[in-house]
Amino acid sequence: MTEGKKTTKRLHANKSLRKIITDFYADAHRAKAEGRPVGWIPPMNGLIELFYSMDIHPIFPENWAPICAAIGTNTNNFAYAEKKGYSGDLCGYFRNNVGYALDGIQEANQPLDGLPKPDFLISFGAGCIPTMKTFQVLCDHFRVPVFRADLPQIGLEDIKDHHIQYGVIQIKRLIKFLEDLTGRKFDIDRLRQAVAYTDEACRIWDEIMDARRAIPSPFSAAEIGIMFVMVTRHGTKIAVDFLQDVLKEVREKVERGEGVIPNERIRLFWDNIPLWYNMKLFNYFEKWDAVVVAETYTSAWTLRMNPDKPLESIAYKSLVSYPLVSCVSLDKRIELIKKAVKDYKIDGAIFHSNRSCKPISMGQMDIMKVLSEELNVPGVMFDGDHMDAGKFSMAQFQTRIDAFMEMLSERKRI
Amino acid sequence: MDGMNFRDLYERRLDIVKEQKEKTNRPVIGTFCSYAPFEILHSFGVIPVRIWGESGNLHKADALLQTFICPPVRHLMALGLDGHYGFLDGVVLSYSCDAVCGLYNIWARNLRPGFSHLISLPYMEIDEASAYTTAEFGNFIEKLESFAKKQFSQESLERSIALYSEARSLMKNLYLLKKKGFLVSYADIHAMNICSQTLPVEIFLPELKKYVKTVEEEARRSRKKLKILISGSVISDASLMDFIEEIGGDIVADDACTGLRLLRNVIPEGDPLQSLVKYYLTMPRCSSRADFPSRKASLIETITDFDIDAVIFIHQKFCDPHLSDHPFLKKILDDMRIPHMQIELEGDGFTGQVRTRVESFFEMLERR
Repeated sequence: MTEGKKTTKRLHANKSLRKIITDFYADAHRAKAEGRPVGWIPPMNGLIELFYSMDIHPIFPENWAPICAAIGTNTNNFAYAEKKGYSGDLCGYFRNNVGYALDGIQEANQPLDGLPKPDFLISFGAGCIPTMKTFQVLCDHFRVPVFRADLPQIGLEDIKDHHIQYGVIQIKRLIKFLEDLTGRKFDIDRLRQAVAYTDEACRIWDEIMDARRAIPSPFSAAEIGIMFVMVTRHGTKIAVDFLQDVLKEVREKVERGEGVIPNERIRLFWDNIPLWYNMKLFNYFEKWDAVVVAETYTSAWTLRMNPDKPLESIAYKSLVSYPLVSCVSLDKRIELIKKAVKDYKIDGAIFHSNRSCKPISMGQMDIMKVLSEELNVPGVMFDGDHMDAGKFSMAQFQTRIDAFMEMLSERKRI
Repeated sequence: MDGMNFRDLYERRLDIVKEQKEKTNRPVIGTFCSYAPFEILHSFGVIPVRIWGESGNLHKADALLQTFICPPVRHLMALGLDGHYGFLDGVVLSYSCDAVCGLYNIWARNLRPGFSHLISLPYMEIDEASAYTTAEFGNFIEKLESFAKKQFSQESLERSIALYSEARSLMKNLYLLKKKGFLVSYADIHAMNICSQTLPVEIFLPELKKYVKTVEEEARRSRKKLKILISGSVISDASLMDFIEEIGGDIVADDACTGLRLLRNVIPEGDPLQSLVKYYLTMPRCSSRADFPSRKASLIETITDFDIDAVIFIHQKFCDPHLSDHPFLKKILDDMRIPHMQIELEGDGFTGQVRTRVESFFEMLERR
């Protein structure tokens, strides 16, 4: 990635975050070298706690994709996927991960030494179609043991006991699969501990997000990278310790009345996934003294876990993380965004209409309408793609955003 | 075929449903996908209606849907906004793909049907799926009980299953007649498929019986043509189907949202709800289901059973499930030495460009 597209980060915690990221991938390579199993799994589910409690290293291709986009290896991976016949209209995560797994993985000089090949895979019927299909390709390609599982696609408000129980019974089958694979016994107390860490991480996460209600806001969407621990280090003390440090730093900033920029005047909401190859966009608003203080994506972690019911907890987590940000239940998503807009005293909303993510993009027009009509908060939409710079036009972005920000500035002045 | 065919009924299908609603006072519920259990709806006296339409003015949906959403979803939303389905009392989605889930949500929010329900069926063929699906259908039944103000009746479900099973068996028979060379156009079969999901089954069934009888009696055979399988999601363009059959193809089988997939298995005997669960879980997989090995097996089975000479993929632009499966399916066909081509429709129907590509494909097939 060119320097010009790197975001300006202001939290000191970013220094330790860099180490956490490097360590996560180094640990994966170490596990592989030591003969401990590495499993590639879909993101945003409760299996991570189970993995860590059984000393299995998880790899999330969906977390790898943003790293490829930030470093710039995504375009090579896209080309590999295209060569294999995958349409350029498919999700950028899918194209990157498929291209990487089929060919890119052979390349020398990978960022973070690349991904260790999987010893087993978990293939899911759950989440979005591109994630399911990514694992279809991986299962076909890697020829390693595959655990096949399924999760209901259900809105948060419609979760019933049979949905949770469907998750629990499959988790029990997974435990047996992992025991057979590793030759080690599952220890429910270690899972309780992992669930307790996740619960604590989610609690601190909410406090960190709450701190952003302060005016001026202590940090902006430019620091969204802190989410890395929520994706990859749930179930561990690493996430808890890191988030505690972030919370401390953020609270100190709030106490000092220190904002992201000297004179915060306009507070923005961001809907949809960031453009991972151009995180600098989050700083673009600063010339109008505007800061992105809340996002949809970060709400995927607003959940609680109960260490006394570890299996139910990880089943529940698996069920809710995806619907929290997708269009499985548009009404629920609108409700959450309305609450955020009020809580964070939002002046305007930026909607990234994301060609790579239909589940998050669908319903954006409805959300925009609700915010404008019910809360008198205007919004603007721009076309982009969370992985593919070729599908984003900076000129179009500037035209749209500049006009919108002028209008917001005018509104604030009156 | 001369005389009666399903194209006329297809054209009038929504009017017939509206008339029936008026006459019988039965509620009408729209479905977005073939995985919605029609039999359960019918057992409550509901007329289930497949929300369906051909390519038309997609732009009417632009205020609610981005242009990178597949054309059929945009088109259905446009039809909804235009009031074509204003007579529906509710909608049901059995979660298939992300785009249709988005459509269901946006439809429910903007068109405010009195009843809406999302059924989440398993994506994988796994041991635990059966008990879960029974509970999920149970949940649906509970909601229908309060909507229809009626108790669920096992006997009523048995009667509904019998009607749909009879219809499916006759429909399958028609595919088999076509396979034997009886003169039936695929566009007629397509119209029959849509009518089977739109007309009240009590009206559809006698029409179907008449139709099958006519085909059998006429016993006209088509000249020898190449046996084609069409594969895709929502395939609705009759002029494209006709064109394929005009230039030397005989579409004898399909791998699509409507059609053979629903007809291959029969609902087994036994407890009606359990039988229904089994039917919906073992139905040949749509691309949105995650179980690729099972999808691969049923595709190979169809190709073998129908002695397929070539496959035409009819894909919709931006369709994640089918575009992701395409490289896999191509490889299967290459291994079987079955020629194939892909058409990607962009919402403007059967264009000159599509025509030229299909022509070149058939020229290639003839040279082989």
